[in-house]
Amino acid sequence: MFHWLERNPFFFAVGVFLVIAYAGVVTILPDFMESARPVIGTKPYTVLELAGRQIYIKDSCNACHSQLIRPFKSETDRYGMYSLSGEYAYDRPFLWGSKRTGPDLMRVGNYRTTDWHDHHMRNPQSVVSGSIMPAYKHMYTNNADIQTAYAEAYTVKKVFNVPYDKPNMPRLGTFEEANKEVMKEASAIIADMKSDDVKEAFKKGEIKEIVALIAYLNSLK
Amino acid sequence: MNWLSDNVNLLALIGAAVIIILVVFVVGKYIKQMKHDKGSGELMSDNWDGIGEYKNPLPIGWSLSFIGTIIWAIWYFLVGYPLNSYSQIGEYNKEVAEHNARFENKWANPDKDTLMGMGKGIFLVQCAPCHGVLGDGMDAKSADLTYWGGEDAVVEAILKGVKGSHYPLEEMPAGLLDEASAKAVTAFMMKEINVKKSTKNPDLVETGRPLWATCSACHGEDGKGMGGMSADISQYGTPEFIANVLNLGKKGLIGDMPKFTDDRLTKVQKLAVGTYIQSLRQ
Amino acid sequence: MQASNVLNYDYSVAKCFTYATILFGIVGMLIGVIIAYQMAYPELNYFAGEYGTYSRLRPLHTSGVIFGFLLSGIFATWYYVGQRVLKVSIAESKFLMSVGRVHFWLYLVVILMAVVSLFMGISTSKEYAELEWPLDIGVVLLWVLWGISIFGLIGIRREKTLYVSIWYYIATFLGVAMLYLFNNMEVPTYFVSGMGKWYHSVSMYAGTNDAMVQWWYGHNAVAFVFTVPIVAMIYYFLPKESAQPIFSYKLSILSFWGLMFVYLWAGGHHLLYSTVPDWVQTMGSIFSIILILPSWGSAINMLLTMKGEWGQLKENPLIKFMVLASTFYMLSTLEGPIQAIKSVNALAHFTDWIPGHVHDGTLGWVGFMTMAALYHMTPRMFKKELFSKKLMESQFWLQTTGIVMYFSSMWIAGITQGMMWRASDQYGNLEYSFMDTVSVLIPYYTLRATGGLFYLIGFLLFAYNMYKTITSGKAILSEPQNSSPMQA
Repeated sequence: MFHWLERNPFFFAVGVFLVIAYAGVVTILPDFMESARPVIGTKPYTVLELAGRQIYIKDSCNACHSQLIRPFKSETDRYGMYSLSGEYAYDRPFLWGSKRTGPDLMRVGNYRTTDWHDHHMRNPQSVVSGSIMPAYKHMYTNNADIQTAYAEAYTVKKVFNVPYDKPNMPRLGTFEEANKEVMKEASAIIADMKSDDVKEAFKKGEIKEIVALIAYLNSLK
Repeated sequence: MNWLSDNVNLLALIGAAVIIILVVFVVGKYIKQMKHDKGSGELMSDNWDGIGEYKNPLPIGWSLSFIGTIIWAIWYFLVGYPLNSYSQIGEYNKEVAEHNARFENKWANPDKDTLMGMGKGIFLVQCAPCHGVLGDGMDAKSADLTYWGGEDAVVEAILKGVKGSHYPLEEMPAGLLDEASAKAVTAFMMKEINVKKSTKNPDLVETGRPLWATCSACHGEDGKGMGGMSADISQYGTPEFIANVLNLGKKGLIGDMPKFTDDRLTKVQKLAVGTYIQSLRQ
Repeated sequence: MQASNVLNYDYSVAKCFTYATILFGIVGMLIGVIIAYQMAYPELNYFAGEYGTYSRLRPLHTSGVIFGFLLSGIFATWYYVGQRVLKVSIAESKFLMSVGRVHFWLYLVVILMAVVSLFMGISTSKEYAELEWPLDIGVVLLWVLWGISIFGLIGIRREKTLYVSIWYYIATFLGVAMLYLFNNMEVPTYFVSGMGKWYHSVSMYAGTNDAMVQWWYGHNAVAFVFTVPIVAMIYYFLPKESAQPIFSYKLSILSFWGLMFVYLWAGGHHLLYSTVPDWVQTMGSIFSIILILPSWGSAINMLLTMKGEWGQLKENPLIKFMVLASTFYMLSTLEGPIQAIKSVNALAHFTDWIPGHVHDGTLGWVGFMTMAALYHMTPRMFKKELFSKKLMESQFWLQTTGIVMYFSSMWIAGITQGMMWRASDQYGNLEYSFMDTVSVLIPYYTLRATGGLFYLIGFLLFAYNMYKTITSGKAILSEPQNSSPMQA
């Protein structure tokens, strides 16, 4: 049979395809319904948090930081409660990472503060002596992209029925409404920061990347 | 050795050794054949760009190992991690239960040295990221714990105000008293209200007594915080006070300290952290 | 035997891809060495502002070596091997010739745009699938062109039976096509909302599902880019260079179909102890272990093909490269499955042992095999003797030393870190802060980076050797049948 296939490329290719394709069908599809359900209390990201999430992706924070706490005592002691599938229901894409050059960030919002991140992102060694993480000074000069963040929130609401504007869920509304909300959230974060350049910029109506990133990190709980 | 008692460590080391040994052994075997053997067999009729192929049978060792891995796989699936009865969360619960059984009973009534040792370990892992390895707050980036707990720190709190641990009565404003009065009322508080019942300025206690009204308005006549309305300053400077901060979190003048209520620390462990922090004061 | 000399094979596309392989190899590996040193010396993060940080460069390194270096290497060997084992010249069909040319230029444009976009931080975050949707479309187009080239050439073949290498090229094409399409399903946000960046998109899958699709892709990208096409290469170049028939046809068949059947199930081992269902994880573990034998089958078939040929191994550096490649293939295809056992993975996951494992395969197996293939092709494509055997020998030993430094340091680093994360003191509390587990690794990071540097220098020697061969190698009159001619 094999030798026959080797003389009939079409059937050979079909054979290969069938053999490689069905593993995916069997292992991946059954879980699609099950794990898409959010855990009670899990909420979609606000627009500012989403903007921060996009910065997290832009600078590949996930290259060094995981967001997945495995069910071992040594992990739950260090990072808090192990991860549940439903907690990721609104994560598009998922950001579990595959390497912990730095610590896990799944629940970093529980034990780090705005002020700490402010120091840390500008100069990691100032708060973690010996840290090998680079400083991200450009996050203090680049502006966060609120429009694209809104576009993403709007898209997931329309296409995937992510429950924005539902009771007890973050408000999205029109871009103008969302933007007002963003300014409010940003101002609360900036109040806790010590960076004068960021404060100055905010007075001119600019939201620096660092503000959005901190909003996102604080939301990780 | 302690770290080898961990099954996972042991298996990982064995795994690493197996990788090297097996590869060296098998490749060594074929290298020997390259040196001493000679390729032979019946050729297939096909020939591609000068490349032929023998009709040799499968190597026995390879075939047997293949069957071996399949048998192992079936065992792993049905017995090792049985399909219907294994759950990783169940495994986790068991791990935690065993861990607690091992340690919680052992250290249920720890003495001071134990608390110090335990507290230091926890401090270095959980607190040092913000407060620094020395607890000095790393150049005013967080509270300086080597300063916390004494009368000078209380005086400073009165003068500069305190944001507190999210109490219903909220912040304590700055400048309720001038420096001299603050010193006096602190002496009184430490001598009469605080569990330590001692002050380094005993001669100021009586001067401070009438000023206590300023404090007791919020902290209560006994300084215990009127049932959770404000901080219990009768405990100030003790491990219990720290344990309370760990439970409630704290809004400092510098930033927010999160609360540690997500089961990462037990009651004893919190007390241990408090004991260690108390010892940091210079 | 004569047939191959009668036909006039056209190597113009193969040559273009050969140049691309060398170019992207240098770029990708250079970035790799830079980011490796950044881990040991963090100050190195600041040589190019926001574009020089480790985190920006890391996707560039992975994409650069996978889709720049390796993919062009695969294409180069396809446009060489395909014609020869199908006994048909691509120039016999004008259509296929133009497809080949368009394939190359489109590929070059897509890769260059990918480099720019990754520098700018335009990324979907999915490992080895970072490109945003406009570039995904480019990738799909060039993949279709490659498919046309494969099946077009097969359609006009003279050799009726497909050789083993062709099986593997077909599998590469089909596997990557399926995986890439499904993993990159995303919705461009601009077209739904009418605002924001036009190239931004959001994944069709969320959370755990997204993770499953990604690692079904990620693991099998390793299968169909790092493994399958390289097996295609070794099945052609080793017997050809050494003039030995393949040891066993039966072993070839079983290894091939076994690999195809088993590989796709193993993706779950990237998600052990995560939030995917327990049974999917267990499947990932067991199929990883079963995968050892089909993988070893090909390697053993190659080693047994060299039975009695110790003399060639000693004399011919190309054979050396390929035999060592098989050895590293065996090492990494045993290492991967062992890391996929749940209890071992509990320690190994998230540590440096994983990049250590990846580089056993990529440096030792993929890199060595690709370079050996290009070394073999060059005298035939350019009708020149290889420039320097001595240089090849030095390159071989330099790079082998580099690999050994790389993987031994990463093994130690990974296992050390894994153990330190788990360690508890006598009170049952965590013994080490996270920072402790980083500081202890710095010497290993330095060692690893230096190993990588050795490998890069070896690659530069390779590039130089190729350059000298092409520009000023001694001309040869008739094509060598087997071992490649080289000057001392």
